[in-house]
Amino acid sequence: MATLLINGKSHTVDVDPGTPLLWVIRERLQLTGTKFGCGVAQCGACTVHLDGQAVRSCQTTVAQAAGKKITTIEGLDPAGRHPLQLAWIAEQVPQCGYCQSGQIMSAAALLARNPNPSDQDIVTAMSGNICRCATYPRIKRAIKRAAQGVRS
Amino acid sequence: MKKSLTRRTFLASAAAAGAALTIRFPLIGPGAADAAAAYDPNAALTITPDGLVTVHITKAEMGQGVGTALAQIVAEELEADWKDIRIDYPTNDPKYGLMLTGGSWSVNWTFDTLSRAGAAARLALIDAAAKSWNVSPADCVAERGVVRHLPSGRALRYGEIVARVPIAKTFSEDELKQITLKKPSEYRVVGQWIPRLDIPEKVTGKAKFGIDTFLPNMVYAKVVYPPVREGAKRTAVDDSAAKRVKGYVATVTLPQLVAVVATSYEAAVKARDGLKITWDPGPNANVSTESIFAKFAEAAKDPNATAWHEQGDVKSAMGGAARRHEATYTTDYVAHMQMEPMNCVVNVADGVYHIYTGSQFQTFAVGTLAATLGVDASKIRIHQQYLGGGFGRRLEPDIMVETALIAREVKRPAKLIRSREEDLKRDFYRSATLQSVRAGLGNDGKIVAWEKTVIASHPGKRWGPDFVDKKTGLDQFALNGADHVYDIPNQIVRAVPVETGIPVGYVRAVAPNYTFFAVETFMDELAKLAGVDPVQYRLSMLGSAPRLARVVTLVAEKAGWGTPLPPNTGRGIACVSAQEKKTPTWTASVVQARVDPTTGKVEVQKIVCAVDCGIVVNPDGARSQIEGSLLFGVSNALKERGTVANGALAQSNFHDYQVLRMNEVPETEVYIVPSTEYPTGLGEPGTTTIAPALSNAIFAATGARVRQVPLLPDRVLAALRAKA
Repeated sequence: MATLLINGKSHTVDVDPGTPLLWVIRERLQLTGTKFGCGVAQCGACTVHLDGQAVRSCQTTVAQAAGKKITTIEGLDPAGRHPLQLAWIAEQVPQCGYCQSGQIMSAAALLARNPNPSDQDIVTAMSGNICRCATYPRIKRAIKRAAQGVRS
Repeated sequence: MKKSLTRRTFLASAAAAGAALTIRFPLIGPGAADAAAAYDPNAALTITPDGLVTVHITKAEMGQGVGTALAQIVAEELEADWKDIRIDYPTNDPKYGLMLTGGSWSVNWTFDTLSRAGAAARLALIDAAAKSWNVSPADCVAERGVVRHLPSGRALRYGEIVARVPIAKTFSEDELKQITLKKPSEYRVVGQWIPRLDIPEKVTGKAKFGIDTFLPNMVYAKVVYPPVREGAKRTAVDDSAAKRVKGYVATVTLPQLVAVVATSYEAAVKARDGLKITWDPGPNANVSTESIFAKFAEAAKDPNATAWHEQGDVKSAMGGAARRHEATYTTDYVAHMQMEPMNCVVNVADGVYHIYTGSQFQTFAVGTLAATLGVDASKIRIHQQYLGGGFGRRLEPDIMVETALIAREVKRPAKLIRSREEDLKRDFYRSATLQSVRAGLGNDGKIVAWEKTVIASHPGKRWGPDFVDKKTGLDQFALNGADHVYDIPNQIVRAVPVETGIPVGYVRAVAPNYTFFAVETFMDELAKLAGVDPVQYRLSMLGSAPRLARVVTLVAEKAGWGTPLPPNTGRGIACVSAQEKKTPTWTASVVQARVDPTTGKVEVQKIVCAVDCGIVVNPDGARSQIEGSLLFGVSNALKERGTVANGALAQSNFHDYQVLRMNEVPETEVYIVPSTEYPTGLGEPGTTTIAPALSNAIFAATGARVRQVPLLPDRVLAALRAKA
């Protein structure tokens, strides 16, 4: 048994403490915005926040996550109107869309610690997230757009 | 096996030229709609009494924005108000005709059909409104979802007509053909920047992909795959350890596969790890990259290889040429690496297989499933979900077959999710290739003879006799692009399909990736030999392809072709008639790259691309597809190298099969030529320009010619040494 605090809500799940957080979030609790991409922290599709830090949920165990504040894409903004989500729409970023929850969660952690990121800051923070459709130029533009909105 | 897809329909569709009505919806509707019921004028759309128009998208949404684009086409002729437009992705049904998404065909195949579907519904709505007013339809117009009687000013919204008035008008095929469609100058929806309908739910995590399917009482399956990709045989199965795993449900042992089933994903993984299977590795256990290329080299020696494309008299023209040049090009295996690993959920209920996944080729999947399961095609229902990347991977029905077999055995809904490692090892790759090209030049430097041999594995052979040419046994999709559009009087292209033990499939932009790599790099080599600028050299042979000449001229101008660059930096050009010669999107790219002469590392700095695809349905969607296709090309050209060892792909995940990340993304500039020509596709052509343009840029920067894709540092260094 483990108790997880996800998006402000407490969930008690009957899993082995070594289970990757990803599978609990996705397949037990059916918060399916968090995606499975590689299982080895190479692609970033499973990115969630643990106490505000971006982590790969495929490499985070339930034991590591217990007692911390877990935020998934569903909990980033209650109305789905986080500045990054609005910027993602304005820049028409997603293509297939599968990696985009992870991209947005990585970008949100970046903006939380650095509200005015340079191009290099963005590239450094985002190069762990793969987009096979290669929407990278639009992701970069959307992060800048959101950053301007957050500052103004 | 009852095939709903014949070779004729497939190839006729595949080779569809221009405005041919290749996918035919039975456009004659079910007849009179009962008042207050939904109105289904044809398979393309439904209008409900609330005024909403639902356009049924039978193409897979895998990031192309196809749903929005196709809805725009319908809305244009229907004169619908865009705010009333909705889309859905229906479950397979024969009424939708060939359900296939690929080849950059979606808009090209449906533009005319969907335009007429929308127009016919509009005319029927006008007719019904006119009848209800007892006036002539000729005095009525439809505009933004409202039919108006001009003399009296009376008006009815589409929803009101559907709710109140019997709609009787139907159209025969001939009547449909006779409908006068709008001129491009009259478009109000087509050509507009309209935000994509699928994007809002893709930024909140709400969009449902195949992997997001859950059914009551569902179990998780894991299949144990053999260590050798093809030809291994199972000799023993011991599931005693698997049975001890908490959550274990069953072991499924079938001729086709062994799987374990458990109550959770992680339990299924543990149980799978507890299965002991003994394999006879079979005849391909020693297949390697080296053995495959040795086989290719042997095949290339065949002087009587089948001629796939031939014109003029190559032999005498080559003999009489003032100069001759030849070169050999190779490309390595490429994997799809779509972000969503292959997965599927199947529920068997009352003899019907309900399949939840994202498919690019439902028609083929239905046929394959029906044959494998021994049921009628009507018992297969593919409930289409968003595709977390397709790129050709989801043309294949393999994951559906495995899941259906397991679900039938365990008599519970089953979910099968491949790990990334399994996804990569079980992929159907873009074939490795070896191409030799030989040309004869006249005294003026012009090409008088062209001879090419393409050695590759052909995916169509695996798919069955319907997918290869009956006479030659060749898969045209393994070769297209080799029949380029340059004015060369004497040409021959030969092809040898080679089986290697590594199954191949269709990966974004398919054959034109490698055929145009050889054509366009060789063209640069010949320009050098002739002492002519590569842009001018190409233009001198594009007399019969003026639209391609125009994008070549445009891209050269926009890229500053010929202006000075820093040391070790160069520009290269490539131009293509991809994705099909009969339905080309005229595309040219200039790539600017810097080469580090000590490490051989190539930095792609900038791509300028010009495209003429005819009418553009959604300009931003078009731009997005072009940007993505170019960067997919950069990833292929710079990084992706699938190698083979012990009969299987040697790579296993993103750490050793690397794809483009944000830190390597060049600046991109895209120019779309305004046009009123019939539209072609944009998902793939850009991809095919990058490897040759980059190889040519490396040559311009260093004088070293790299003839192997990907253009890896060690290959660049070897070419630099060969030059020195």
